[in-house]
Amino acid sequence: MSVKINIPSYLQPYTNDTAVIEVNGSTLDECLNHLVEQCPDIRNKLFDKEGKLHDYVSIYLDGQFIYADELSKPAKDGDEFHLFYILGGG
Amino acid sequence: MLTRDELERYDRQIMIRGIGEAGQEKLKQAKVVIAGGGGLGSPASIYLAAAGIGTIRVVDHDKVELSNLNRQILHWDRDVGKRKVDSSVEKLSQLNPWVKIESVAETISQDNISSLVAGFDAIVDAMDNLPTRYLLNKAAIDNNIPFFHGAVYGLEGRAMTVIPGKTACLRCVYHGLPPEEKFPVIGVTPAVIGCIQATEVIKYIVGIGKLLANRLLVYDGLNMKFAEFTVKREPNCEHCGHLGEGQ
Repeated sequence: MSVKINIPSYLQPYTNDTAVIEVNGSTLDECLNHLVEQCPDIRNKLFDKEGKLHDYVSIYLDGQFIYADELSKPAKDGDEFHLFYILGGG
Repeated sequence: MLTRDELERYDRQIMIRGIGEAGQEKLKQAKVVIAGGGGLGSPASIYLAAAGIGTIRVVDHDKVELSNLNRQILHWDRDVGKRKVDSSVEKLSQLNPWVKIESVAETISQDNISSLVAGFDAIVDAMDNLPTRYLLNKAAIDNNIPFFHGAVYGLEGRAMTVIPGKTACLRCVYHGLPPEEKFPVIGVTPAVIGCIQATEVIKYIVGIGKLLANRLLVYDGLNMKFAEFTVKREPNCEHCGHLGEGQ
């Protein structure tokens, strides 16, 4: 099973400048963990010290917003996630 | 009622199906707050003034710095050291003397936010920091004023329109505060996003088209792509949850 995670430009320094990472996992949680296994430098950018997703990270599955409590939802082959930080700049 | 000069000035946009003289009259009667006279506030206010929004209030407490000039196009080299609101009023008034430009050189805070937005028809979120964006979002919800969000980082931008009680608000989607940093940006990015915000304001006031409601628009200038993401109201949102569904 393959799931794609799209990485925004400001997080690509932590994914070896890769914009799309293919991961495996039966849930979004597992997919994120696999992302971190492949790109350890991104861990602190996504998770706090307790391993909880930072509240300023937004996740979208196939274009739909995902609440933080929905990370245990099943992921299926071909799913595509986008990770975003909140942007404050103007 | 539109004057003969106004009919001539706005002739090309009055030609747009859905705007017409009636739509132009709505723009003339409208009052819009632009929170921030910087990278986003510059293009948003320029195009709203040019479109004939009747009253534009620019709120910004900063002075123009040299490092602003790569993107904050209302402010020019000669303006370094001036208050941004003064520079804004000067340029916008020259662009369209028939529009009333108000300036408020205050820091937006819990104490003054309600008085800054009371009686206005739209709030443009052109801030450069998240805490104030949250304050504005809450004020928009509390005062039932549509809120036009925009934000940028580097060559990426975002835009979303909030109709209080009807669509997801900023707080439904955003929580927390990332570590503070000086953000990179080049002027073309807020130019794109600020113009999108202005477009949304115009559409809302005239009552045409499909707004970015429950839709987060993401602009990727590096790859020249626009992507759209569906957002939804959070029932327990601390800003708009009390309004219930479909109000």
